[in-house]
Amino acid sequence: MLNTILKYTGLFILLLAIQLLLLNNIQFSGFVNPYIYILFILLLPFETPSWLLLILSFATGMVMDISSVTHGLHTSATVFAGFLRPYVLNFVAPHEGYEQGDLPGIKAYGFRWFITYVIIIVALHHFFLFYIEVFKFEYFFRTLLRVLLSTGFTLMFIVIVQSVIIRR
Amino acid sequence: MRSLLNFLKKFGNVLLFILLELIAFYLLAARPNYHNIKLTKAINATKAAMRKKINNAVDYFSLSDINKQLVRENEELKNTLQRIYKSEELTTFNVTDSIYRQQYVYISAAVVNNSVNKQKNYITLDRGRLSGVKEDMAVICPEGIVGIIVEVGRNYSIAMSVLNLEFRLSARLSKNGYFGSLTWDGGNVNSLILKEIPNHVNVSVGDTVETTGYSAVFPEGIMIGTISDFDERGGDFLDIKIQPSTDFRKLSNAYIIANLKKDEQLKIESGIQGTR
Repeated sequence: MLNTILKYTGLFILLLAIQLLLLNNIQFSGFVNPYIYILFILLLPFETPSWLLLILSFATGMVMDISSVTHGLHTSATVFAGFLRPYVLNFVAPHEGYEQGDLPGIKAYGFRWFITYVIIIVALHHFFLFYIEVFKFEYFFRTLLRVLLSTGFTLMFIVIVQSVIIRR
Repeated sequence: MRSLLNFLKKFGNVLLFILLELIAFYLLAARPNYHNIKLTKAINATKAAMRKKINNAVDYFSLSDINKQLVRENEELKNTLQRIYKSEELTTFNVTDSIYRQQYVYISAAVVNNSVNKQKNYITLDRGRLSGVKEDMAVICPEGIVGIIVEVGRNYSIAMSVLNLEFRLSARLSKNGYFGSLTWDGGNVNSLILKEIPNHVNVSVGDTVETTGYSAVFPEGIMIGTISDFDERGGDFLDIKIQPSTDFRKLSNAYIIANLKKDEQLKIESGIQGTR
């Protein structure tokens, strides 16, 4: 139990460091803003109770908001993603269901399962995040393009990070 | 009681979700006054101080650039001085001239936090109420405009960057004085948009665009950028794209400008609107 908490604290710090020090400084013409910190919510164990998931999402979003001066923006999007995670997990569940003690990852359920799961959550999160950020329908298609491009890039970074973590 | 417990068991997560989202949206909506929230305030202060430490180290690497910038600025200032000296040589007697009064005060500030990758970008500066900074003051850097102060703390202030969907400013073509409204569309950092310039106006790529001073925030004639592209698009107005002269990704020094006659201008203007 303690071991798990330590492991996830490490993951949390690692992801936020990558996000804040590296990805937040990337700028390709304003259309690509990958947000990899959502991977923390994605990788929590299957048995995590929903309320804990929501609280952790809230905390993650708060840390992001405080360190990038966007009040409540990341919090609302991450809580949204955390709320939908159990439903998405049900939706993409393999026939046999999930094994007790397994972690959501490429190792346990394969590349295709992982990608489907990640795409759904990341797309929902980014969709919510970018539309709340703009808060205008005036820029509907421009924002949609940003959502799609950023989802693609986040996915790419998540696969890279996930394949590195598996080795550990 | 039991039914209440059952209800909580069933919908507790949904309630928690709604509660957390409400908190998040409250924070989002309260953005202009978020200094009221004590927690954020305390965290922001420590964060700004931390950023300053990091920036001190980072600044070291951009010293040569900053030096060049300062030399250029000095050169300009010296040139203006010379002009003044010359005109004084011509005058044979001294007059205390009460016609000229100082209108603008410049407060130098360092940029401690800055972003360009959001739709609503803000810049944190290391001057606050104690240095005389107030809301709605203009922020410029040696190359051109930067933004407008929106939030003032004791020692720090926050400026809305030009790169913010909510930013509006009146701007004019320096060659013929036609003015329009300057915005940013949230896309490319190197492209601002100038609207409301009539179709018949003769513009060409490379023309300079500057501030008008109509809003009583920015002094007149501060450089904004040069026209990089324009499009007629059939309407009555031109669609003009502007390459800003400021490099928002490399901001380090800035000046906050206080307009000493602003209150007077606004008061008299609101008086006219009141009677109409």
